[in-house]
Parts: sequence; C-alpha cells; structure tokens
Amino acid sequence: MPLALEARGITKRFPGVLANDKVDFQLEQGEIHALLGENGAGKTTLMNILYGLYKADEGEILVDGKPITMTDPKDAIRHGIGMVHQHFMLVPVMTVAENVMLGDETPTPRSAWMGPLSHLNVKAVEEKIRELSTRYGLAVDPTEYVQTLPVGVQQRVEIIKVLYRDARILILDEPTAVLTPQEAQDMFKIMQSLVDQGVSIIFITHKLKEVLAIADRITVMRAGRVVGSTTPAQATEAQLAAMMVGREVILEVKKGEAQPGAEILKVENLSVIDDRKHKAVRGVSFAVSAGEVLGVAGVQGNGQTELVEAITGLRKAESGHIHLGDTDLVNHAPRWVFEHGTAHVPEDRQKHGLVLSYSVRDNLTLVSYYQPPFSKGGVLEEDFIAANAAKLIKEFDIRTPSAQTAVSTLSGGNQQKVIVARELNRPVKLLVAAQPTRGLDVGSIEFIHHRIIEQRDAGCAVLLASAELDEILSLSDRVAVMYKGEILDILPIKEATRERVGLLMAGVQEQR
Amino acid sequence: MDWSTLLSLAPSILASALRTATPIALAAYSGVLAERAGVVNIAIEGMMLMAAMVGDLAMLYTGSIWVGIFAGLLAAGVLALLHGALSITFKTDQIISGTAINIFAMGVTGFAYKRFLATPELSRPSPSTLQPIEIPLLKDIPVLGDVLFRNRPIVYAMLILTFVIWYALFKTPWGLRVRAVGEHPKAADTMGINVYRTRYISVFLSGLLAGLAGLWFSLEQVGHFDMLMTNGKGFIGLAAMIFGKWNPLGALAAALIFGLPEAVQINLAMSMPNVPYQFMSMIPYILTIIVLTGVVGRAVSPAADGTPYNKG
Amino acid sequence: MTATSKAEVREPELGRLQVLLYRLGVPLLAVITALALGALAMWASGSDPLVAYKGLLDGSFLKTRAFGETLVASTPYLLLALGVGFGFKCGLFNIGVEGQYYIGQILAVWVAINVKGLPLYVHLPLVILAGMLGGAIWAGIPGFLKVRFGAHEVITTMMLNYVSFNLCDYLVGLKGPMRDPRASVPQSRPILASAQLPRLNELPALMANPLARIVVALLVGLVLYLLFRLVTRYGFKGRLSKLNAGIVAAVSLALAAGAWLLLGNLASFGGAFVDKGSRLHIGFLIALAMSVFMWWLLYKTTFGFEIRTVGANRDAAGYAGINITRNVVMAMAISGSLAGMAGAIEIIGLDRVLKSFFSAGYGFDSIAIALLANSHPLGSIVSALLFGALRNGADLMELRSGVSKQMISVVQALILMFVAAPAVISWLYRIKAPRGEKAASVTSGWGK
Repeated sequence: MPLALEARGITKRFPGVLANDKVDFQLEQGEIHALLGENGAGKTTLMNILYGLYKADEGEILVDGKPITMTDPKDAIRHGIGMVHQHFMLVPVMTVAENVMLGDETPTPRSAWMGPLSHLNVKAVEEKIRELSTRYGLAVDPTEYVQTLPVGVQQRVEIIKVLYRDARILILDEPTAVLTPQEAQDMFKIMQSLVDQGVSIIFITHKLKEVLAIADRITVMRAGRVVGSTTPAQATEAQLAAMMVGREVILEVKKGEAQPGAEILKVENLSVIDDRKHKAVRGVSFAVSAGEVLGVAGVQGNGQTELVEAITGLRKAESGHIHLGDTDLVNHAPRWVFEHGTAHVPEDRQKHGLVLSYSVRDNLTLVSYYQPPFSKGGVLEEDFIAANAAKLIKEFDIRTPSAQTAVSTLSGGNQQKVIVARELNRPVKLLVAAQPTRGLDVGSIEFIHHRIIEQRDAGCAVLLASAELDEILSLSDRVAVMYKGEILDILPIKEATRERVGLLMAGVQEQR
Repeated sequence: MDWSTLLSLAPSILASALRTATPIALAAYSGVLAERAGVVNIAIEGMMLMAAMVGDLAMLYTGSIWVGIFAGLLAAGVLALLHGALSITFKTDQIISGTAINIFAMGVTGFAYKRFLATPELSRPSPSTLQPIEIPLLKDIPVLGDVLFRNRPIVYAMLILTFVIWYALFKTPWGLRVRAVGEHPKAADTMGINVYRTRYISVFLSGLLAGLAGLWFSLEQVGHFDMLMTNGKGFIGLAAMIFGKWNPLGALAAALIFGLPEAVQINLAMSMPNVPYQFMSMIPYILTIIVLTGVVGRAVSPAADGTPYNKG
Repeated sequence: MTATSKAEVREPELGRLQVLLYRLGVPLLAVITALALGALAMWASGSDPLVAYKGLLDGSFLKTRAFGETLVASTPYLLLALGVGFGFKCGLFNIGVEGQYYIGQILAVWVAINVKGLPLYVHLPLVILAGMLGGAIWAGIPGFLKVRFGAHEVITTMMLNYVSFNLCDYLVGLKGPMRDPRASVPQSRPILASAQLPRLNELPALMANPLARIVVALLVGLVLYLLFRLVTRYGFKGRLSKLNAGIVAAVSLALAAGAWLLLGNLASFGGAFVDKGSRLHIGFLIALAMSVFMWWLLYKTTFGFEIRTVGANRDAAGYAGINITRNVVMAMAISGSLAGMAGAIEIIGLDRVLKSFFSAGYGFDSIAIALLANSHPLGSIVSALLFGALRNGADLMELRSGVSKQMISVVQALILMFVAAPAVISWLYRIKAPRGEKAASVTSGWGK
C-alpha cells in the first residue's frame, strides 16, 4: 500500500521535556493506524506537529511521498489532513453549520464579489452537511446549536468539519475518551465507513481493547519514542500493555509487610457528578485500614479525580457516605476534612496544591496558617512559620535557595515536596495522594514513594490514586481498579500482576 | 402638566432622544466590534475625546469639516491600534491598557486644546458643524418625518451602521470569524484563522466607530472641541453594549433608552420641576447593574472576552 | 557534591537580587521614560522642557509651601491607591473608587453637619468612620453582586460612580436637601467646627484646650507604641523581637509626655504651624498610618493571607479551605472604605463644604498609582507622592513654560502603560524579566 502520510525523525522539545525523540511514523492509504501510549508518551505532540499546530525542531513530513512544509493548520488542511482534537474545537454558541464552515465559508453566488463581507450561504452549507451526513452515517442536524448537542453528536460535527474540507487523512485524538460504550461502537462503525471510502485514519488511544477491535496496524509510543509496531493479529492485550508501560526496571520500593489495623476510611455507595454533569463515580464502595496503602489504578478519566475530590471535600457527592473513623465526611468543606485528620496531595499541584507566586515558606503554611502556633489572634507568627519552613525544607530535602523563594521557580519535584511536606506536617490519619509523582524526576519519585511508605508504617491509611501502573504496583498493599466510574475489582498485591491489572484497566473483567 | 402638552412634545422628545442616543449607540457598536473579537475596550471614551479634538483641530487648519472628520477617525483608529498592540501583542491586561489610554487621551486632548484651540483669534469656517440633511418626501411624513428624516449626517450614519454591523457580524464570513475568535480562539486557530490579525482589525474598526461617536460632539453638535466634552458617554456606551447583549440592534434600543432621560429633561425641564433630573440621569446606570445581575435575562459576554490569546 | 550544591544555591540568590532589581527598576524606568517622552512632546510643540520641568520641580517641592501642597495633593491619592491596591491583591478591579470617594464625602458631611454637640476628638473620628462606611457600602454592593450573580465589578463600580455623581449633584443642587440656601453656588452648609480636620496652622489654637492636649498626646503615644512594636517585631530581621513590650510601652509613654509638652508650644516651632496660608492638614499623617496598617493587615495577619491567596490562586484558596465569597465581599468593602476615608478627609480637611460634583479624575489616577507601586501599601506612599507632586507642580509648570498642565496626564498615562506592559520597558532597555515575573492581570470577561 502506498503511504498517505509519513513523519521522519520528528523531534520536539519543550522546556525541560523531550516530547518527541526522532519519531518515525507511517500511515498507509486506507488503513486505521492506532497510535498507542500512556499519558505523556508524546502522541498528542506528534499529532499537533502533523496538523501544523506545533513546529517540529527536527524532522520532515511527507504527504503522498512528497515532503511538505507545515507552518500552521491551514497547510495541513490544504494537504488534506484533518484532526479531531481530544478537547473539541467547537464554538458552543454557534450552530453546527456555522461551526463546520468556519474558516472555509461559502458565499451566495450573487454576493461572492464582496469577499469577506459576502452573504453566507448557510443553505448550501447545510445541504452539504446533510449530504455528508447520509454518506458517512453521521446523523447531525446542521441547524442545531452545538451547546445543545450531546458529546457524541459534537464529535460527529468535528468529523463532518474535517470531511467538509475533503480531508483524506483523519487524525482522531482519543476519540472514545468521552464516549459511552454504545457511542464508541457507533464511532467504530463510522471509522470503518470512512476507511471504506478511501480515508486514512490515525487513531490515538490508550485503550487496548479498542485498538485490537478496530486498528489495522498499531504503533506504540513510550516516553517520546516509538517502541514498536505490530498488528492486532500478532498482538494480545497483555503484550500491548507491556509495550506501553515498558519492561524497564520498576522503581523498587523497600517495604515490609503491611500491618493493617483498624478501618480508617470507609466509602459506601459513593456517586459523584463531574463538571459536565455526567456521573463520574458510580456507587463505589471500599475501605482503607490504618497501616495499608490502597492503590486506585485506572486509565485517566475513569472517575479517580472525582472520587478523590469528593473524599477531600472539593466536590459535592451526589449520594453515598464517606466515613473517616466515626465521622461522616460527605459534603463537608475542605477545611473540615483537613481538620479531621486528612492530608491531601492534589492531582493538579499547580492549580490546587500551590500558590505559585508565593514563597516556599508561605506555601508550607497554606492550610494551617490560621491555627496556633502558626498564628495567634489573627496575626501570623512569622518566627514560627519561618522555623517550621526551615525544619520542613531540611526534613523533606526541598532544594530551594531560600524559604523566601517563589515556589514557581522550583522544579516540579521540589514543588511536589513542598506539598508533601506541608500535608504530612500534622497528625494525619488518612493520606490521600493523587498522581503524586506525575512528571517528576526519578530522585523525587523515590523520595515521595519512600515518604508514603513511611507514613503507612506509622499507622496512617493511604489512598493512592495513580495512572502509573508501576507506582500502584510498587506501593500498594491492595489494588482497586477503576473503570468508567466503578471499581471493577480490588486485588491483594500478591494477585495483582501487571497483566491482570492492565486488563482490568482496559475494562476486561475476568469471567468468574 | 396635561397629556396634550406631552403629546405635542412627543416628536420633539423622540427627535432629541435619537440625537442624544447617537454617540451612545456608536460607542456601543465600538464595544460590540472589539468584544465580539475578544478584546475588552474601555478606552472608547478616550478614543472619542481624541477624535473630537483632532477633528476640530484639522477642521480649523484646513478649513474643511470633511478633512476634520477624516482626521478624527484616523486619530481614534491610531489610538485603537495602540490598545491592540498593548493588549493583543504585549498581552497587557485589557482593562489596564484601556485605563491608560483613557488617561492619555484626556491629557493629550487637554494639552492640545490649551495649546492650539483655546486661542480666541482662531477663525472657524462656517458652518463649523455638519448641517442637517432633510430627506425629500420622507421628511413630510407626520411625526416620523420630524424624528427620522431631518437629522444631521452622523445620526443617519449611526442608523445605517446599526444594520451594516449587524449584517457584517451575523451574515458574513468575516463576522463568523470575528465571533469565533471572541468565543473560542483556539478553535478558530485550528481552522486556520489568524486570531491576532482578526482581533487587530476588529479593534481598529472599534476605534473608528468610537471616533465617529466623538466627532458627533465636536463637529456635529457643538461646532468646536471642549475639554472632556464626551462626558462619560463612552462608558454609557459600554453599558448599552451589555444591555443590548453585544448585538448592534439591542445596543441601539439600549442607547435610545439611555438617551431618553436627557431628552425628556431637555424638553420637559420647565414643565416637570418636581422630579430632580439627577434621578432621571441615574436610570441608565441602575438599569445596567440590574441587567448584569441577570434579573432581566442573562447578559453573557463572548467567552474569550478579555483573555489574551497565546498561540501554543 | 558540596561544590555543586553551593553553586546551585548561589545562583538563585543572585536571582533574588535580580528579581528585586527588576521590580524596582521597571517602575523607575517607566517614570523616567515617561518624563523623557513628555519632554519630547513639549519640545515638539515648541516649549522648553527644561523650563517646564524646573517649574514642575519648584511647584511641587522647592517653592514656599510647595511641599506642603504636594502632601495635601498626595493624601487622597495615597488612600485611594491603597483602596485600589487592596482590591488588586484580592484579584478585584475596583475601578469605581471615585464614586466611593463621593459617597464617603456625602455621608461624612452629613454627620459633620447634623450630629451636634460632640467634642472634636469624638466627632472627627465619627465623621471619618461615616465616610468609610459610605465607601464600604458603595463598594460592598458590587462585591456582593459579583459573588452572588457574577456581575463584573468593573462595570458595576463604574455604573455606581455615575449614580454617586448624580446623587451628589442632587443633594447640594437646586432644591437639594443638603443645599445651603444662603450660598450663591450649589453647595452644602459648612461643616461644624468640631468636625474639621485640623490644619497644622490651627493646631496651636486647638492645643490650648488642656483636655484636647492630653487626648492628642495619648494618641501620639499609642501610635508610637504600635509603630515601635511593629518595628521591633518585624524590623532588624527580628533581632529585637524579644524586646519587652513593657519597655516599649514605657518609652512610648515618655514620648507621649514629651508630645504633651511640645503640643502646648507648637506656635514657637514656626513653619507650617503659624503659616496662615498653608492648607496642610493632618490628613497626610492619617494616610501614612493607614499605609502602615494596610501593610500589616495584608502581610502580617491571617486575614491578609486569605485575601492574597484568593487573589493569587482562587482554586488553591478553595483547596486550603478559605471562604472565597466572604473574602471577595470584604476586600471590596475595605477597598471602598479607604476611598470613602479619602473623601471624608479631603472634605473635612480642605473645602469643609460639600460642593456639587466635579470629577477630580481620581478614579483613573489612583489605578495608575496602585499599579506603579505593584499594589504594595508602602510602595504606594512613594508613588502617591510622585503623582501628588506632578499634580501640584503642574500649575507652576504651565505658568512658567506655557505647557498646559494636561501634559502631566500624558506623562501619567505613559507611566501606567509602561508599568502595565513591562514587556515594553524590557524591550526598550534590553532587560530580561526574571523567571516567574508576571504583569498585572485582573480582567476576566464581563459576564462571569
């Protein structure tokens, strides 16, 4: 098969990150080529380069065997490349037709001479949308406003947008991430019908099952590099999971047997609604005892974020109970939850965990500033705050020029140490850590892992949510796997093999 | 006061309302154009002042009112480009940039006024205001003729622009792009639309409209420039823009409502001595606050209004 | 290992110095550049910039009474900038301080005229408090509307500006309830003597009253005591923080006694105390005290910590359990109360009657002053003095050089532009902004 699109030796650096490292990628005509990889593996960066949104530092792009220059999306569109972004690029207050024609408007014939001020030929666009809609089985009403449409339909609008511009190469970035299983099935049908009509598709995902179901070829990326290519016929989910996660030495964490004590956290039938008003957590129940780490594994976006936010008071629960010892935490404010012995290392450290413009010292007192001895009578006790900061900087090995340095200038690892130091600096019964080592260097990862185990051994209950399977497997005493808002299974660590957890993460439940 | 006097005054009140609404409406359109593209423009007042001053100055030195109009528009446009440079290119906070431009315009116009305009020996061309144009036949329609068809040019221009801007924003490719850039610039960018250029053009046009609003004061209404003569009408224009929900048609209606108290006051000051005019003057501002609280229908600004765009 | 870690530490230390230099350098360069551009404009329009700037300098500092008048002009500026800056610190853009200023004047004058029979040292604080209350309400409403309905404070405070201007016009205008029927121009009756903020030249006469003298001396002692406490606690890197509060109190008491002695003999000190033409009133001292107080409130109390945290990162504030609604309303109310205080002090110190509205242009100027000081209460003292000097010296500049005083607004606008867009200054002088430095940002769309 001739190549529709080829990328050779693409390298892209962001400050401090090598996002793409000499990536080669080939898309044959009329195939569905799955690009598989974990979050941060460099898939989206590569696609943004192929679509002209980023400029590659090195490497070249060929369309139909000819090298092309790509400076902005206009070039990509001209070369027949279209992209459906993970976060939809639709204007909610406009109609489907307006969104589709944006950037490629059709004027009425009589007014065409007026150029940009000609009269929009909405009728013609709507007609063309209806035509595309029947041809590819993309049911959409062009006169509806995008904000009133369900997510699945919005995605169809995105695809029509691409087809409207006669794209022959379609990039789909995590298209099923926001879809229900039924919608995903419909999506696959649409993809198949597109391919039947000569479109070539790059399908970005980290869901193994989908890859095996729909792809013609599979390329796996890890840490900015292509680690291999295969076909569904030759691969199993287990093999793909291994390629995706890597077989490098897992960071060893020295730890003894857990000595579970009394039950500290007990979650019963908890349901939580996310920002888009979808049910993100569906009737979840589990318990964590003193002296053990319960790892919550799962692909990003399966409700872990909302679960953690509900437990720590940042998000209202729709129903259910959260018991911390004898108290019911459900729907209490974050401060109340803190005061009842919870420590929280938040998922997004720069958004929630830190005030970036503040000094290390102030960030170390962010949640306790109002309590004695940090303050007395509403006046900050600077001597104590400074001494506290000095103590924690030493104890947690925070590499900072001084306690007065703005935390924004520290490395990610040291920023995270600031949060961990602050959260562990009080009597804690329950530690909730979400993605505690995302994007950190090895040294900091080790340090934070060590601290978590130390906390466990001191008799604290630890709830660890992480998308890093390695992290879950090396720290947890039990592993709960979340998929689509539910906990599919909770395995003791001895039974939690990489393959088994990987399959559960992909939603494959064993037959029992 | 009886109803018959009120009725007999109605055409005259309506005509003054249309007149007083003209700078407010133009200022509102100026806001609509900038904010639909995602740039908050609170410098309209300053741009109006600048155009009013430069227009008068140019008229004096060339003797032509039309050169004055052109120069005034250009001056406001240049000021708008400055706002564009600060807020689009340098990504300065748009309200701060607007504030700076307002102070700047107050200073420059005051300075120039004292330096060049306040000298008594200047001879002004006559007439030094734009003269009313009576539209044949239409002017004889009872009531309507008096209100609509015996006006001065900028009033007509305002009425025509209402529909031109409405058409351009909602019916043309250009308008579609402008609105997309103001709502979701990233989406527009992925469709190959140049967000920066679109914003610059909108802000420049916004400046021209503000300029026309300013010229109404110096070259249509009064005949010369006075310090601070725009008297906050630019800010009321912003209120009319919000009241009119970022739509020129709505903004025109809002401007008429906002212009009405002054018109009533001009015409009825003698016959209604018991209602302090200050309370009438407060109405537009209180209305605007009520609109913002969402009691009378939610006023939702373009989603990306006020946010500088950072390309990837 | 040790060598590398040392280097690692030293480099960012240099970075801190760089940050400090940058933070002081940008405003300084902004002022210099703006003055230079102003000179260019003067020269281009045919005036001599040197004569103009000499006039400005004489008019603001060197001529007789010039410095006193500069202080008079700086007083409202400082209080208003403190108000605007406090809002900025909480992420709020209070563009309506001028309206709050007028409401402050209205309430203050009402209390100053209608509450009779109180001694000066009761009436005066009451009048100022009334002004603060007026400003607090006038700004608190937009704060409430913001958190409750999402109405953007820039528009609501601006609209309330016009409401307050009209209200002021009505109250003292024709048939207005506060109008002085005997006056030929629209203005209120003069305020009672017990509500007049003393000018320095009025102090000797006032201090003849022994009771007033004791009250004032004690007040001086109290202020000194608080100041000493602040200095010993936060100054000298905390080395004096162990100093006994009793000693500080004793010293303050002794100084208060000294003040009592001095107050009786003010006239013999000459200067502003006997200069009948001087308008310098003690308002500037109040404004200075407020700067120190606001600094303490913002940076040394848990309340200030909450305000700043809400302003710096609303999400993190929520995570830390800070009540965002309460802080936003409080920040607006305090911001407004400072503006109201400015209005009250200005009117009871200078005019002593409420006149019909005339925009002094305080609203925009105070934004520029606050931004120039990066919203820091102590920095605001310097920038308010600068703007007060510019405002005060402008008349003499105009007289001497023929450059109209509006040129000063141009210079002020340029200063604001350069401060708001440090990228321009960085580009002009080839300075690299240190990591983590960001320009002021307060806008977030009208509707939200």
